[in-house]
Amino acid sequence: MSENHVPRPVVASGEIAVRGVSKSYGEAHLAREVVKDCDFTIERGKLTVMIGPSGCGKSTLIRLLAGFEMPDKGSILLDGQPITGPSRDRLVVFQETALFPWLTTWDNILYGPRARGEVTPQTLEFAEFLLNKVGLREFRHKYPTQLSGGMQRRAELARAMINNPQIMILDEPFRGLDAMTKELMWEYYANLYEESGRTNFFVTTDIDEAVFLADRMLIMTNIPTQVRAVIEVDVPRPRRLADMVTSDRANAVKMEALAILHEEAMKSFSRGSKAAADFVEAYARRSAKA
Amino acid sequence: MPQQDKQPISPDMMIGILKATMPFQVVSEPLLRRIAAIGWKTTFRAGDTLYEAGGPADDLFIVVAGKIDHELQPGVHARRPMKTLVEGDVFGWAALLEKVPNRLAKAVCTEDALVIRINGEELLKVLESDPNAGDVVMSRFATMITRDYTVPDLIAQLRGIHRKLHARDPQGMNVTLYRVSRWLKSPKPYLMLIGLSIFFGGWYLFVEVLRLPRFREMPGITTVVAEWMSPNPTYGLSIYTGEYYQHILVSIWRVTQAFFLATALGVPLGLFLGWSRKFKDLVFPVFETLRPIPILAWVPIAIVMFVATESAVIFLTFLASFFATALNTMLGVESIDESYVRAAYCLGSNERQVFLHVIVPGSLPFIFTGLQISVGVAWFSLVAAEMVSGQYGLGYVINTSYTTVKYPTIIIGMITLGAVGYVTSAMVRVAGDYMMQWRLRELAMGAN
Ligand SMILES: Nc1ncnc2c1ncn2[C@@H]1O[C@H](COP(=O)(O)OP(=O)(O)O)[C@@H](O)[C@H]1O
Ligand SMILES: [Mg+2]
Repeated sequence: MSENHVPRPVVASGEIAVRGVSKSYGEAHLAREVVKDCDFTIERGKLTVMIGPSGCGKSTLIRLLAGFEMPDKGSILLDGQPITGPSRDRLVVFQETALFPWLTTWDNILYGPRARGEVTPQTLEFAEFLLNKVGLREFRHKYPTQLSGGMQRRAELARAMINNPQIMILDEPFRGLDAMTKELMWEYYANLYEESGRTNFFVTTDIDEAVFLADRMLIMTNIPTQVRAVIEVDVPRPRRLADMVTSDRANAVKMEALAILHEEAMKSFSRGSKAAADFVEAYARRSAKA
Repeated sequence: MPQQDKQPISPDMMIGILKATMPFQVVSEPLLRRIAAIGWKTTFRAGDTLYEAGGPADDLFIVVAGKIDHELQPGVHARRPMKTLVEGDVFGWAALLEKVPNRLAKAVCTEDALVIRINGEELLKVLESDPNAGDVVMSRFATMITRDYTVPDLIAQLRGIHRKLHARDPQGMNVTLYRVSRWLKSPKPYLMLIGLSIFFGGWYLFVEVLRLPRFREMPGITTVVAEWMSPNPTYGLSIYTGEYYQHILVSIWRVTQAFFLATALGVPLGLFLGWSRKFKDLVFPVFETLRPIPILAWVPIAIVMFVATESAVIFLTFLASFFATALNTMLGVESIDESYVRAAYCLGSNERQVFLHVIVPGSLPFIFTGLQISVGVAWFSLVAAEMVSGQYGLGYVINTSYTTVKYPTIIIGMITLGAVGYVTSAMVRVAGDYMMQWRLRELAMGAN
């Protein structure tokens, strides 16, 4: 099979518009606003990365995008249609998502098509292609507990990609991996994205990850969260990690983002947030290093 | 390449060195000893070249002292091709790669060095003899190579061997065999034998040697064994009488029916209890009221309810099993991680599919725990239940031998009951292992 021939059924990419969305948890005076008047667009065919401090409300937004929860105020539209519940056109890989431990790698990947009764020879061919792409060909008959952490994440990516969603939504998918494995994962993922060209939404707390992957970067405020800034990362693709380290544009984007994140944290800091204090400190150390 | 001379190395020293390396750190002492037996030591002078890229990849090396510069050739696409190796570092792992007969790197000694070398093929043979440990060693090699050099393609090949080692992927009876081999390697079987000896020894001592007043009516172990093994048993029951086996078969048949009935009703009930909040609110209070009632308290009702005594016996044997199965299944469903359910919905499952493909397999470990308990309590209840029945069964033997003062026969019945009960419970466990191959690694890591 040639590299360019991807046996992928053709499905249009989607675009999501988040308009004036607010979400609180808890009753009456105990209520806590997590998302407040949030506005942004996940543009068609682009890789949008959302970055913000831990606990600012990113996963909450993801649950709203997935349709597992509804916003208190505002609306979320997929290609103009309001989102009413979970659906396969928005494939969400949650922060805590895991492979099904009772299925082998291969069966995990094919879970979606089988559940929907859509297994065709093309699907199998695509599964095979993805399995190769994520370097797990030899591991098709292994159960998740027999794979390393990085392999499991790659299998998760393949399990999501095979469904050809109009939009892929990933919540900190590479959390908990060591630095080296993480870098490998970025390349696998960037490659999959570049080949598919479909809309991707990627949530992270890691600035290097964000800069390397993003077409557009949404920088979030602390809780209750809103979009604080949007940065277009106009570094040409395909990108290589080595090039990114030396790219002036990438470094400029990184500094710009860090400055905003830092400022955002300072604000919460002055409001007495311990988390923000830690954040300020951590980022001060990082930018000193950079 | 100058062939440096190989010298023997003391096994204890070698084991100490292996233990300080990433791939061999977690290997058991006996296996380390076997690896040590195929190792050699060699010294190099500063400036010596150990090997060049493209040379034959035969040995694996471990640095004991000194420094060695290791440079992967460009074709490998390593992100970090250069590395200075020091004490405890392992290199020359091309010797373990499946499709790589030649060296991938150049290794030059920069400071007089003492290294250990092990022939790759021989090492693989040793590892193949213990697939579980070999598997661990290989995956640690892969981790080490990723960490130190970042070369993904090679990892796949290394894991290729690891896969070959593990050609017996979890399938068939592997989980059970694994459990048994681990059990045999642990002190458990010996402790078990000691425990049994103490028990039987105590029995002999108290009843037949010390003749304690408390045990005056109790038959001694020698009397029981003599009766049990006798072709002409005084009280009419021994391994030579057909009746003995008839009792066993009748009891097994009753327990089997009760067990399967309890499974067929208990598992679905438990699944629905765990799955639907409303159903649980409706049914669970009744369930929890009935569950603690002892079997003996059910006997009169059972006799009134069932005209045929056989049905009454099976009903009584079934009850406790049914409760145990349903309860454990329910707990199994409730313990399933919510994120599996969400993932399944995201991937396009409907409610029925989530139930069949997530809830059912996800609760299997708990279900099988329940089934093991179920089989145990079925035997437990059987003795009570067979008080009702007129004819056969181990419980019946125990009951009637009591009223007819055949004390050795009581003991024979009891021991037989215990042994048969143990075997059936082991069978359930084997069936569970068979259906849950995916738990092999989990078990190997000591989760259970
Ligand atoms: N279901 C919930 N009930 C109450 N509070 C919640 C709930 N989900 C999230 N929160 C709160 O919302 C805040 C943001 O959480 P989250 O969206 O997980 O942040 P992030 O993903 O950015 O780390 C946290 O303070 C958390 O305690
Ligand atoms: Mg989160």
